[in-house]
Amino acid sequence: MSGAISEREAKVLNIIETARAKRARFRDKQITMAHGAGGKATQTLIEGLFVPVMGTGTLEQMADAGSVEIGGVKLSMTTDSFVIKPLRFPGGSIGELAVNGTVNDLAMSGARPVGLTLSLILEEGLDSEVLREEVEAIAAAAREAGVEILGGDTKVVERGHADGMFICTTGIGHVDSRATLSPAGLKPGDRILVSGTIADHGTAIMLSRGEFELDAHIESDTCSLWPAAESLLAAAGPELRCMRDATRGGVASVLNELARASGVAIVVRERDVPINPTVAAAAELLGIDPMYVANEGKFVAFVAPEGVDAALAALRSVPGCEAAAEIGEVRREPPGMVLVETSFGGRRVMDQLVGDPLPRIC
Amino acid sequence: MKFVDEYRDAELGRAVAGEILATVEAGRHYKLMEVCGGHTHSIYRYGVDDLLPENVELVHGPGCPVCVIPMGRLDDAISLAHQPNVIFTCFGDMLRVPGSHGTLLDAKAEGADVRMVYSPLDALRMARENPDRDVIFFAIGFETTAPSTALTLKRARADGIKNFFCMCNHVMILPPLRALLESPDLRLDGFIGPGHVCTVVGARPFEFIPVDYNKPIVIAGFEPLDLLQAIQMILLQLKEGRCEVENQYARVVPNDGNLRALEVMSEVFALRPHFEWRGLGFISQSALKLSDAYADFDAELRYSVPGVRVADPKACQCGEVLKGVIKPWECKVFGSACTPEHAIGTCMVSPEGACAAYYNFGRFAREREVV
Amino acid sequence: MELEAPLERCITCSDEGLPMRVVSLADETGQAVCVDESGADQSVAVDLLESVAIGDDILVHAGVAIAHMGRCRV
Repeated sequence: MSGAISEREAKVLNIIETARAKRARFRDKQITMAHGAGGKATQTLIEGLFVPVMGTGTLEQMADAGSVEIGGVKLSMTTDSFVIKPLRFPGGSIGELAVNGTVNDLAMSGARPVGLTLSLILEEGLDSEVLREEVEAIAAAAREAGVEILGGDTKVVERGHADGMFICTTGIGHVDSRATLSPAGLKPGDRILVSGTIADHGTAIMLSRGEFELDAHIESDTCSLWPAAESLLAAAGPELRCMRDATRGGVASVLNELARASGVAIVVRERDVPINPTVAAAAELLGIDPMYVANEGKFVAFVAPEGVDAALAALRSVPGCEAAAEIGEVRREPPGMVLVETSFGGRRVMDQLVGDPLPRIC
Repeated sequence: MKFVDEYRDAELGRAVAGEILATVEAGRHYKLMEVCGGHTHSIYRYGVDDLLPENVELVHGPGCPVCVIPMGRLDDAISLAHQPNVIFTCFGDMLRVPGSHGTLLDAKAEGADVRMVYSPLDALRMARENPDRDVIFFAIGFETTAPSTALTLKRARADGIKNFFCMCNHVMILPPLRALLESPDLRLDGFIGPGHVCTVVGARPFEFIPVDYNKPIVIAGFEPLDLLQAIQMILLQLKEGRCEVENQYARVVPNDGNLRALEVMSEVFALRPHFEWRGLGFISQSALKLSDAYADFDAELRYSVPGVRVADPKACQCGEVLKGVIKPWECKVFGSACTPEHAIGTCMVSPEGACAAYYNFGRFAREREVV
Repeated sequence: MELEAPLERCITCSDEGLPMRVVSLADETGQAVCVDESGADQSVAVDLLESVAIGDDILVHAGVAIAHMGRCRV
């Protein structure tokens, strides 16, 4: 449908291009839910406020985890807060999430998770039994992930100032010597792997809130990703370009972020993306694209073509990753864009989230 | 249970795409309008336009009730949401649409109790559960959605519910189509008709399009294969010199529509003498208000709203884009004053509006051959 | 109200129509239990349709059934 384009059209396209390439400026009058949704508004906040004001080096990479070298040992460090409603949901709870979320940010940076600190913000009136259950969930998840809880802090806020409890965790890990990972390191020809079925977590949460008259049983996928990450490092260390857990904003957001960071195009084959049929049906009913739905135990890995077979085989042998699949590849043109070959055979652009977790208008 | 798999089959799709290729005449450019926002969505979702020959162009029509709501109405809605003791409910689509001073989402951030619902019946349930609050439902949508609002109000009255109100913005699809067709500079060859609107109003009301304006229209379903088939049916009409209403979506759309729904609508609603459409201006008898029998439920009577008309920006050329007279990039403000982040016109407000789509994906369209 | 993901389309202007199957007759309020493609239950207002029977396939928009499916092929 393109054909030859006029000089004027080319000029307009170039203006758009320049505008899009500019670093975002943060000019919003107040914070809305959109700033926490992981889309364009979040990016504006980070690129337009946090990095320019606080950034000195490592922060410029805008990754979840950053690394520092201490006495010749390379460490990776990250922090995350967890505000989720309801506190317990099919397949997990806030405590389990708080451990796994931070452990996974470390794992994705190629670091073996070692220890966590824990900060609890509790709402006045919280049932002690609920707290006890979450503390036990934290302990169990930490054991499972092989990390130690090193210290922590507790605050209580007035009734109505927190949804039961908020949890912040900070984690530290030991960077694996085989890791040569960088979000800017994607090259044309690289293959894209996803570690299992997508969209389980976000769909489970939405349904567990009971706001939809929809009765399907879907469980969150929350788990530690270190075993899977380690198997990839072992099978394809030098060929492994980058790993990202597809949390808020889903697989689509990760792919857009990396396409931009590396200045490459990404093409995804929709029919190859693994998805649980119940999740697919629920997403269709809710009018949601599963590619944008949050995961808590799935990640996307980019592997050079020569390492892809070994990487995929290694990944599939890890418990929980049996459904891992190759879903697409990196191309040169058009840089910064993510394209989908739909199951119907057409192609379309899979854009960054327009900016908030609410319905697209039309 | 599977309802739709056969309509998403890639192989069948390729076969119809081949028929389309065999039907078009080289050197002729075809411009077809899909009237309904749902069609726009399916085209985007499945990459249907990618399967069409270069000389078949799809133009997005005025069929997005959210995008055509003028800013003044939205300002009224936001003022209602800020009333004390009000729970303001609407479909999620409305939350992000900008009024002249922000969106409903901004109003929520400022403390208004704005809640998203999937059905007007959910809003009615909220009214039952919160008897000491006023629950206002922001009703919006074409003839597909109007029956659900009408049914809800009928039930509210039957149950004697006194704290449920409706701000009615229901619009009708035929008047704006007629307005487009009346335009002397219209450059469209045919229409893909709105399948779900037709389940309610039927196929017959569209007969004026071939009869009075000599343009073919094919009523289509919402799966990708439905759309390809409908496009092929239009192209065949053009090739064979026919011009009529055809129904590709006969598995759901009856010729007479849903009489019971039409009856409930005529009981609950009355025609507004005129209504403003963003980008298209005032169109007479194009929208609905609550009938006198339901005046007690009218939020605009219960509360006073500013009712200030906010004019479309002068430079905005959405009307011409919709008519297919100019391409998005030919608009004076496109890409400069009007961007997805700061949209001026309706075609930029919706991510699938013609201008927003071109802003985001124009470069992809240009580089398709190399991808 | 915060969703974990964006809704990909809107209900109103996408003129969404969900195919469902009726599994129980309407109660006195006009609501019938229907199942969607995934087998999940939903309560749907069916009073705008004539003669709804168990096993009927219907098209649902915003919680309200607006058409029968497969009845009117000409």
